[in-house]
Amino acid sequence: MDDSARLPRVAIVGGGPGGLFTAWHLERMMATPVSLTILEASHRLGGKVCTASFAAAPVTYEAGAAELYDYSPVDDDPLRQLVRHLGLPTVSIGGAAVFVAGRPIANLDDLASACGENARHALMSFDTRARSAMTAGEFYESGADHAADAAAGGPFVGLLDGITCADTRRYVDVMIHSDLATEAEETNCGYGLQNYLMNDPAYMRLYCIAGGNEQLMRAIAVRLAAAVRLGTAVTEVRDGPDGAIRLRLQTQGQATHEDFDVVILALPMDALERVRFVGASLADALRRHVEHHAHPAHYLRVSVLLDRPAPPLPGDDAYLMLDAFGGTCLYVESARDPCAAHGVLGWLLGGAAAVEMAGLPDEAVVAAVLASLPVPLAACREQVLETRVHRWTGAVSALPGGWTRLPADRRHRPSPAHPKLFVVGDYLYDSTLNGVLDSAEHVAGWVAAEQMPERLAAPAASVGKTTEASP
Amino acid sequence: MIVSDNDQCDEGRQLPAGLPAEAVLRRLLLPCGEELLLVAMPQEHDGDGQPPHGTPLLAEAATAWVAAATPAATVISVPLYGCHVVWAPGRAAVIGAPSRLEALATAVTDFADREADLRHLEQRCAELLESLDRDAPHAFAVDERTFDQRDALAARFREAVAVRGRLARAAPAVHAPPVHPPTLASQLGERLRDRTRLAERHEFAVDRAELAERLYEACGQRAAEFGIARRQQGLEWAIVVLLVIQTTLLIVDLLARGAAT
Repeated sequence: MDDSARLPRVAIVGGGPGGLFTAWHLERMMATPVSLTILEASHRLGGKVCTASFAAAPVTYEAGAAELYDYSPVDDDPLRQLVRHLGLPTVSIGGAAVFVAGRPIANLDDLASACGENARHALMSFDTRARSAMTAGEFYESGADHAADAAAGGPFVGLLDGITCADTRRYVDVMIHSDLATEAEETNCGYGLQNYLMNDPAYMRLYCIAGGNEQLMRAIAVRLAAAVRLGTAVTEVRDGPDGAIRLRLQTQGQATHEDFDVVILALPMDALERVRFVGASLADALRRHVEHHAHPAHYLRVSVLLDRPAPPLPGDDAYLMLDAFGGTCLYVESARDPCAAHGVLGWLLGGAAAVEMAGLPDEAVVAAVLASLPVPLAACREQVLETRVHRWTGAVSALPGGWTRLPADRRHRPSPAHPKLFVVGDYLYDSTLNGVLDSAEHVAGWVAAEQMPERLAAPAASVGKTTEASP
Repeated sequence: MIVSDNDQCDEGRQLPAGLPAEAVLRRLLLPCGEELLLVAMPQEHDGDGQPPHGTPLLAEAATAWVAAATPAATVISVPLYGCHVVWAPGRAAVIGAPSRLEALATAVTDFADREADLRHLEQRCAELLESLDRDAPHAFAVDERTFDQRDALAARFREAVAVRGRLARAAPAVHAPPVHPPTLASQLGERLRDRTRLAERHEFAVDRAELAERLYEACGQRAAEFGIARRQQGLEWAIVVLLVIQTTLLIVDLLARGAAT
């Protein structure tokens, strides 16, 4: 008998960060071997962490996640540790300038001289309220069960409305809009505060991986023993025989089905909504899960290749904020490489503007973002070699955890009647890569601790129709 | 942190060639004892984030002037929105809107004092390390010849403790977290601190001072033990002599009594 037939079979649906992190943790936590399979609908791994290349020159750009968050100023940062463990070089990035009406506001002095002392006082007052509402420790623990109360507090717009000065309100809106990826009335105070306080280095710092953030996904993927099946979409989930879970798979137009002992759905919310769940209790549980967590937020990434390096931003900044599109972030990606022969500019549009622009043809989107260039970078309009647009509509959550955050176990196992079906996602924590790593670790630990001993005690002979090699 | 001693502050000196007439040159005596020549050059900005037409030329002239005094040192050039600062040990130039020049000058002077203080401490650490190899054996064994060097070893121990104390006092300023929301002065201070790697240099200096302190502490212990042992030896000999005398007297006494009987 083939060894793999006796091994517990685990399917991870989704080859994005959630799927890869889960596989990474599972392979390290399992006390006994398992047959682990990653099913990915597209033809690449990495999901939203996507480093693409231009055609006109061998230059890469970030088409998805622009940066990683470093929580190490506050406490242990598992993602930072993982990056270090994988030996990936990193580059710290930062940016202080917010361009409002064409004028850079990079500090309190700029705010006071542009908008008056009243604006400075209003910002200090809001900042004090924000810090009081969420300390660095609470910020770090957001997503944990005991931090559930911090996420409450009603819509974030209520907190912003407390800013008495219109100029300061505009400044704060522009500063956080692209990170929030939604409008202030669509999210809660907890998530809104996180996106404001992330600008404070005492709460968090930003970094990226030299050579592209997708290096992280690739580094994990090559170290996994799991079988990876690209171009394999899961279209249906239902109960299988002997407590197994049956997945209906679509590969190159052919539909098949396979049974697994454990299934972990590591899909973004929009992809999860497309999966059909068969069986009254399963369908109902997943419907409630989706209803609770479906608060779509939107990104649009526009990248432009220049025929020469873009002018460096003052203060060694790697990005700046523009008031165009309700607040957008403009990264000077080529600034990360001192030897760059070409310039790369990357816009990150968020929220309603991202949805609106996503409906336009690429040429119109590119024209609009180039028109938004501030004076210090205006000359770049004449240096464009190639442009790319990536639409990430509904790819993240505007309200991670929902209006009321459920306990972590409940978040990750939506149907108690189906104890072997788990979900992993950034939408369960804080819409960050760090959050999805926490989510993956939670599920991997759970599966390793509870599911496998039980499964090993009574192996189901009927499980496992495919012939994938065991790890 | 700026020295307010007007006798030491020589404003309005003759400007070096290449710098605009409206620039002001100040000679400042920093609290750490080092001098700083600071040129402040007012330059109005349009407020659109683009430096005024003349700023690159001014920055170039400022860089040349700053670099002239300390050719071996690395000149740090920090462009920020609406201002530009060039610094090297002993010289600095700030270019910015007139309303912000004072804040920029204060930030640069503050930083220059910290950097100079740390540089002096690094020098003292280096001097301590020079004698480290020579003194290391004294941490294990002391003889009559080396015991005579105890005053010099004690002086180096006091120096190591003094350097550590100074480094401990400097630590809060060197490792201060970034200010948020930032001010122009705080941004400039943080950029200069990052570019000169002040935090890392401070950590290395602490490590070296700690090493010297531990060595000379051990040397002090060995020397003290040797001194105590030598005093004990003297006492032992005194006791032996007294016992011999006592025994001799006892024998004499016994013999005298025997002769009498």
